[in-house]
Amino acid sequence: MSAATTSNSPGKWVVLPHYAFAALAFVALSVLLLFSTDAFGGHYFHPKLLTLTHVAALGWATMLIFGALYQLLPVVLECRLYSEKLAVAAFAFLGVGSILLAWAFWNFELGWVLHVAACSLVIAFILFNINVAQTARKAPKWTVESDFIVTSAIWLLVTGLVGLLMAVNFTTPFLPVEHTHYLQLHAHIGMAGWFLLLIIGVGAKLIPMFLLAHHEDTKKLNWSYNLINAGLVLFIIDHLLFHTLLLPVYAALVVAGVALFLLYLREAAKTRQRQDIDLGMKQTFVALALLLLPLILVQVVSSRLALPQALLSSVYLVYGISVFLGFISALILGQTFKTLPFIVWMHAYEDYVGRFKTPLPKDIYSHALLRWQNISYLLGFILLVAGVLLGNEQVILAGAIGFTITSLLYTANVFHLLLHKAHDLKPFTYGNTKAA
Amino acid sequence: METQKLPEDFDLEVYEALKYIIDPEVGINIVDLGLVYEVSLTEEGVLAVDLTLTTPGCPMSGTILTATEQILLKRFPSLDVKVNLVWSPPWSTEMITEEGMRQLEAKS
Repeated sequence: MSAATTSNSPGKWVVLPHYAFAALAFVALSVLLLFSTDAFGGHYFHPKLLTLTHVAALGWATMLIFGALYQLLPVVLECRLYSEKLAVAAFAFLGVGSILLAWAFWNFELGWVLHVAACSLVIAFILFNINVAQTARKAPKWTVESDFIVTSAIWLLVTGLVGLLMAVNFTTPFLPVEHTHYLQLHAHIGMAGWFLLLIIGVGAKLIPMFLLAHHEDTKKLNWSYNLINAGLVLFIIDHLLFHTLLLPVYAALVVAGVALFLLYLREAAKTRQRQDIDLGMKQTFVALALLLLPLILVQVVSSRLALPQALLSSVYLVYGISVFLGFISALILGQTFKTLPFIVWMHAYEDYVGRFKTPLPKDIYSHALLRWQNISYLLGFILLVAGVLLGNEQVILAGAIGFTITSLLYTANVFHLLLHKAHDLKPFTYGNTKAA
Repeated sequence: METQKLPEDFDLEVYEALKYIIDPEVGINIVDLGLVYEVSLTEEGVLAVDLTLTTPGCPMSGTILTATEQILLKRFPSLDVKVNLVWSPPWSTEMITEEGMRQLEAKS
């Protein structure tokens, strides 16, 4: 009996490069942030802000989610990943697309580079969709988590296609109304359809699992799925065709869906047997708390309030920051240290377990780096949001420094894990066992 | 294949050996986590272990199964070892032993 024949886990070369790329993208994002403090004073359709948003959404968040998902999909769907080759190809297209897109936006070069980037990304999303859908088809049972994950992949593809249309429209205008109209569509499909649904689908399975909590009633998750998708579909139809004043209603549907997910987690947490909350899980709870900020702001940005233009622009920016640099980044910063040590550990020690005394996953990364990473992140985020709201470039710069420190600490810890090798293993001597 | 009843001390020895295998995520051994459902020895000298995992999709399935096999082969070299992964009844936190609960509480 060998691990390879019984485990559903994909090979490490499918998963780990995503973590490496994402960590470097996070450093790049933070450094670009240092040079973009002047961009936060105006409209969100600013080359530097477009660059930051896409580096955060694609190179950082989507890249890491792809990698983590190839490892987690077999856990959630209880079957092997359909194709490792498709996963590697999707990684290449996503990587190339993210870099070219960042270059195109930063230099505001909206010609062929942007087109190639957009095509590359859409190909990556198509490959990802095929892999997710075919894996889901093999699943022994269909669950609400499967609904969330498969639907999120479809929304990712829709987001990419809208992005591609907008990229083409820059050089060959054919869309009937102004660009920002579609940018809102593109952004909200990406945020609610891709990130939110995916995170809820995976989180609903993993967070109770990490807490050793058993909560079988998925009624709230079913409603969460229905409400978020209903809100998103109604928003798209209205935004494209009717232009009513009902946007806050659609936003409320999404917010209600998220609230049901949070209630589900709360109920699960009540049954948890595990009382020790490690730093990774603490950061995850910080992320869930930070989720409240965009949930409040989505009501503001969809209500067309008669606020002063400068304030409105700041609120839009804080809304975007609270999604990408708030909730999603905080979640990744925490969950990386719940998933990556485990993946690295499995590949390094699976042949030694039962014969040698091995360390545990929590023993192979630096807890001190992680603690300082979490502190610098929270400080950086608070300063950045405060700086944008106050319109103060110095405070924004302080926030960007916080993010840069965070990204360096994070990347050092991630590469420390990625380069980990099993060494000095001592064979078991029976009769002196102790649980860790 | 007929199953013979194990002598009590042998049974304990098997469980003690399996306590060396620590669930890497939870940090407590698989016996106290309640993953080991049954241990039996057939007349032909096959030591069979039924064990489960905390979730059917657990990526640790291969590692824990291999570890169980390896550790028992080393501890009882004269026996054949057969490890069966079972899902019924599904594992729940109620299967954690008192010692397992004590260890979980000690970590908080």
